[in-house]
Amino acid sequence: MRLEKCYFCSSTCYPGHGTMFVRNDSKTFRFCRSKCHKNFKMKRNPRKVRWTKAFRKSAGKEMTIDSTFQFEKRRNIPVRYDRDLMATTIRALKRSQEIKAKRERVFYKNRMSGNKLRQRTENQALIQKHIHLVDTPAIKNLPQVQKVAQKTKLMDVDMS
Amino acid sequence: MGRLRRSRVHKGIRDIKRKYRTKRYMRDIDQIHGDIQPENASKYEKPELDPELPGLGQFYCIQCAKHHINEESLAEHQKGKIHKKRCKLLKEEPYSQAEADAAAGLQRADTKPKKAKTEAMDVAENSTA
Repeated sequence: MRLEKCYFCSSTCYPGHGTMFVRNDSKTFRFCRSKCHKNFKMKRNPRKVRWTKAFRKSAGKEMTIDSTFQFEKRRNIPVRYDRDLMATTIRALKRSQEIKAKRERVFYKNRMSGNKLRQRTENQALIQKHIHLVDTPAIKNLPQVQKVAQKTKLMDVDMS
Repeated sequence: MGRLRRSRVHKGIRDIKRKYRTKRYMRDIDQIHGDIQPENASKYEKPELDPELPGLGQFYCIQCAKHHINEESLAEHQKGKIHKKRCKLLKEEPYSQAEADAAAGLQRADTKPKKAKTEAMDVAENSTA
């Protein structure tokens, strides 16, 4: 049994599922579902469609270079069944999955690390820009608003 | 749903449906990427006369995979935006199944067995036999 990867979204095509398109130069394209097939027919580039794996990898949203990717391969050489080999493989698989998950978590954390600071500065800039709109006393007396207001005052003083 | 809504809402667009039929399948971008390679240039240098094609198949734009009726038409097309866009699109590496596999974390296949492996298999065979 062969589990192919979908040409468009890179998910697994299980036997009996999806569609295969054979082009007139005998190249085959497998699709996991009609959604992927339709998008292919529209001649879309999977690298530019945001929900595909190819996009996420090429846009740096997911880990791409890692030694844990070396394990999963299409192995065209048959291996004779061996109970011990099977047991060790399964054990190694579990361990490599653990390591991979851990590294992915670290990658995600790194990717998201600057976000809070950036958002805060953006929000502050927005309030500073539109401080004249925040004119009701209820909002004016909020501690955060006053902080920002003070900052703008200081900046004005510096400017003058 | 009234008559007008049926005809005006997107699903009624006949031409798009026809365009996406495999019957009218045009050359894909990865095929064209192969066509424009210098080793395939000889195929398109002297095209044969084909009475079924526009302009007897003599005025072919490789990048857009399109036949034109005469020299002027081809020149006009090659000046245009559509052609230039296509040329720009062809500069990047075409998407392939290998890339789809790599995105899913599947590495390229090992085609030739390594020597060490075969020896190990022989040993295993001997031990079982």
